[in-house]
Amino acid sequence: MNCTNELGVRQGIIDGFPVLLGYFSTAIAFGLLCRGINITLFSSVLMSLTSFAGSGQFLTINLYSTGTLMLELFISVMLINFRYVFMGISINNKLPQDITFLQRCLIAFGTTDEIFTIATLKTQTLNFPYLFSMELTAYSGWVSGTLIGYLLGTMLSSSLQAAMGVTLYAMFASLWSNEVRKNGVPVLIIGGISALINTFLVCICSLSAGWSFVIAMISASFIGSYIVRKE
Amino acid sequence: MEPKSIIVIVLVAAIATLIPRFLPYFSKSANNLPYFIKSKLELLPVAALGALIFPYAILDFHTIWYAGLCGVIASFILGYLKRSMIVSILASIVVTYLFLVI
Repeated sequence: MNCTNELGVRQGIIDGFPVLLGYFSTAIAFGLLCRGINITLFSSVLMSLTSFAGSGQFLTINLYSTGTLMLELFISVMLINFRYVFMGISINNKLPQDITFLQRCLIAFGTTDEIFTIATLKTQTLNFPYLFSMELTAYSGWVSGTLIGYLLGTMLSSSLQAAMGVTLYAMFASLWSNEVRKNGVPVLIIGGISALINTFLVCICSLSAGWSFVIAMISASFIGSYIVRKE
Repeated sequence: MEPKSIIVIVLVAAIATLIPRFLPYFSKSANNLPYFIKSKLELLPVAALGALIFPYAILDFHTIWYAGLCGVIASFILGYLKRSMIVSILASIVVTYLFLVI
């Protein structure tokens, strides 16, 4: 996080590795779930290959098993993924101008919550080799996890599987404390505000994960801009 | 089970995911937001962190809710002490595992 040299493939793989671990354990759960409701191995892996979106895929499976209409499914999945619009704007603003069309498509396809957070917390300008290698690392964890979860998920001890589920949260906690050390208490407060808003929306208002995340993230960012200005 | 309809669902889900992902990279208007909005979105990455951890780090572990919480706290402290991310994460998995099996 605090290296000053230019970002490259090596750094992309290093930064993507914790995401790979986290995605792998989440995807195992996804593979298991697909098998449980009799979706073929081919379709399960195809969904991870083409969507590459945790909450969106779990929602799709959920709606499929309850027999939702196709249009409803389309709208619901698009809404839960709406947060990628805001994330994409932030990443796009940090990209160099000379990036090709194909490179832009690949970066867009691999945009996830985790990639966005890691990439935009970087102080350096982003570039294609760094972003793509990080996304590919994360992607490989997601696809292989789906396959392994479908084939062998039942063999893993449930406690170990549950413990591995903490990986992504641990990664964010580590990123967060790193930012607090570098930029001080306001960062702790802003993260705390978004945590509180999200908890309130999910636990008290029973809002879906996608919407509550969008609202919590944007309102904490708004409130935070006033806190930072005062400093 | 209808293998054909599930393939259609997979494709519909993929398109519904691709649209919001591609929009900001190719739409000029999405990137020409007013300065006021742009300045407010600068803290988005930091603001995302809190909501990415809570409440699911607690809810995911159901009755043993403190297992996830302690794992997160362990990782936060180690991260603050400048330990590498992998060390923080592994310590967090161990802490969570211990709380789950005890």
